[in-house]
Amino acid sequence: MSEWITQLQAILDCPVRELQLPIQDWRMLVEDSVKKDSLHPGKSHAPAIGDYVQGAEGKDLFVTKVHSHTVDLLEVERSELSDKERRLISWTLSELLAARSKSNEGVSESERYARELGAWIDAQLDSQEPMQTLPERLIARGRLFSSMIPFMLVCEQAESGRSSYNELEKLLRTFLAEEVLIIPLKEQEWLVLGPVSLINDAQLEDRDTEVEESVEESLSSIVTGLHAMLESEWIGECHVAVSQPISPANSLVATTALLRETVHLGRTFHLGSNIHLPWLLHLERLLNTIPELHRMKFVEQALKRTDAFLEPEILTTLETFFSLDCNVSETAKKLYIHRNTLLYRLDKLKQETELDVRQFRDAVLVKIILLLYKVTKRT
Amino acid sequence: MAGVRLEHVYKKYAGSDLASVKDFNLDIKDKEFLVLVGPSGCGKSTTLRMIAGLEEISEGKLFIGERLVNDVAPKDRDIAMVFQSYALYPHMNVYQNMAFGLKLRKFKKAEIDKRVREAAKILDIEHLLDRKPKALSGGQRQRVALGRAIVREPQVFLMDEPLSNLDAKLRGQMRAEISKLAKRLETTVIYVTHDQIEAMTMGDRIVVMKDGIIQQAASPEELYNHPVNIFVAGFIGAPSMNFITGTLNEAGGSVRFKATGIDVLVPDGKAQQLREKGLIGKEIILGIRPEDLHEEPVFHEASPQTIVNAHVEVAENLGHEMFLYLNGLGKDTVIARVDGRSGVKEGTNVKLAFDMNKVHVFDKESELNVFEV
Repeated sequence: MSEWITQLQAILDCPVRELQLPIQDWRMLVEDSVKKDSLHPGKSHAPAIGDYVQGAEGKDLFVTKVHSHTVDLLEVERSELSDKERRLISWTLSELLAARSKSNEGVSESERYARELGAWIDAQLDSQEPMQTLPERLIARGRLFSSMIPFMLVCEQAESGRSSYNELEKLLRTFLAEEVLIIPLKEQEWLVLGPVSLINDAQLEDRDTEVEESVEESLSSIVTGLHAMLESEWIGECHVAVSQPISPANSLVATTALLRETVHLGRTFHLGSNIHLPWLLHLERLLNTIPELHRMKFVEQALKRTDAFLEPEILTTLETFFSLDCNVSETAKKLYIHRNTLLYRLDKLKQETELDVRQFRDAVLVKIILLLYKVTKRT
Repeated sequence: MAGVRLEHVYKKYAGSDLASVKDFNLDIKDKEFLVLVGPSGCGKSTTLRMIAGLEEISEGKLFIGERLVNDVAPKDRDIAMVFQSYALYPHMNVYQNMAFGLKLRKFKKAEIDKRVREAAKILDIEHLLDRKPKALSGGQRQRVALGRAIVREPQVFLMDEPLSNLDAKLRGQMRAEISKLAKRLETTVIYVTHDQIEAMTMGDRIVVMKDGIIQQAASPEELYNHPVNIFVAGFIGAPSMNFITGTLNEAGGSVRFKATGIDVLVPDGKAQQLREKGLIGKEIILGIRPEDLHEEPVFHEASPQTIVNAHVEVAENLGHEMFLYLNGLGKDTVIARVDGRSGVKEGTNVKLAFDMNKVHVFDKESELNVFEV
């Protein structure tokens, strides 16, 4: 049930049910009610959103959507609605739903389908018991049985800088493949399904001379290229995530949840990074589940001085050191400092914190503390 | 082609009171090769990203040509970017990588082909057009990234540490090629680097930044010979300038600089300036570049009043030159750059003459170069 129907139910304080009737049946009900001193005389024309009639057993029926042969209706159990209340519901429905259906006018078939798909995914993610398998009506019109690469794209542009669905679709079709499917989710958030053939395209033609690249490496380079392209050819800064290829028909909801979580974790734990890969965020995922109080307690217990890692210089040094597998020479090279300068910094840190990041045990601890810092230091 | 103008530009991030870039004012001329240089975190990349449109400008105005572009999307700014992580499009070959931006802008096939082949020729990658990025070396990938920017024929090129992923030899080679390319294309380039050799060799003008503030914007020669403060003086030049804290004393009409192990005569011209600024009798910081300490006897004969004795702690011989790490001159180690054939040995004492016409004097409080204020 849509959220707005649940809200309406709460306001009316009585059950509200969705149902669908053939248009013929609706017309008969209208004619009957006209005969019986109707609530809505003269409504014999084509049904419109907001029309209402008294149905069987004293229930009120309101039109929410009109299809070619059927109408979607809301059935309100309480037959005691005052005429003013009925008119108010009718007016609200026509304002709310007509505006929605109007925004779909002039929209291409592919966009309408993508929006419907997006709305269904969003509804499942909001639901207590989400369905994992797509309903027939959505599968039939898509290409959702073949394996596809799911990307998530999140932008934060001011209203004026936003691009339309058509622009994004054109761009991604040119960049990724003709058969790309772009599903709008929340405001400025899209799920993009690209063909699996991209992975093969990104790998070396000549497999004999080089070690074959893993799927994760290929996906990582594709999403990095995608991000570079979106930055320079679209509207600028955006966040992207990718996950392993899926069969969308039965894993679209779980994949969307995973990618949304990936972007959230990446943005929380790795500020300044715009490309987020779920297989690199396992530790972050685990740490994110720890309650705030426990995180703070851990940092306090593990560190003698909680301000030890606040200096930008030591933060950059440690992050580079860990990203290069604790290799002193490589880290010094990357930071453009002398090896001895790096060793001096690490020794100084050891003196201040009694943690020596050249030791595996302490390195793990410092890595976890650094991650927790990002989510606790603001408090 | 066009110039770029930044007027009172600030960058502030949400949740932070401090600005990453503060009151940035700069007029970059058409066809100028401008280098932004400074230590990490100084705001140089943020400034470039604001010009690119990848970061919002918190305050101030940005013009490309005469057009105010604060609210213009990157794709509509007529700029091309080449960044450190030159992410090529892995599923496309070199030709497609270079052609993509033009294809998107609905250029005719013949025009795309002409531009791609021309750029490939300039960059010497014609033989790689069919290859995928994975099959290219680091240097070749860098060329493709440059090619992707060149074919667009943009008004301005923005480059952020484009050479930092290359090894030293290739970096030197590409440095020269980019300079050559910029001249050939007659385009405006804004280039960010932490590497002062790149800055000095490539830039028509260099902007030295620290803590989000422009310290000095000048030609490489001007920066090297007339740094406005201690930061610029220490940042430009390798090994960096020596700073010695001491006092200026006047006796019998001549001004002398004195510090531990040092008592040298200040030339008349400089002495007069120091008198006028009221610095006689005060503690100052003397700046002298390693190459302005001379070990050759001919210098000693010419300036007997500027000779010092020092102990050579370490002597690094690079063949054509030698770096001497000296003790006994002021509090810190002083470095001298002498001829590789001078034969100075570690652990011995050495006589050196200060070239006092080349020294800089910095105010201890403000750290400004008193000769340049």
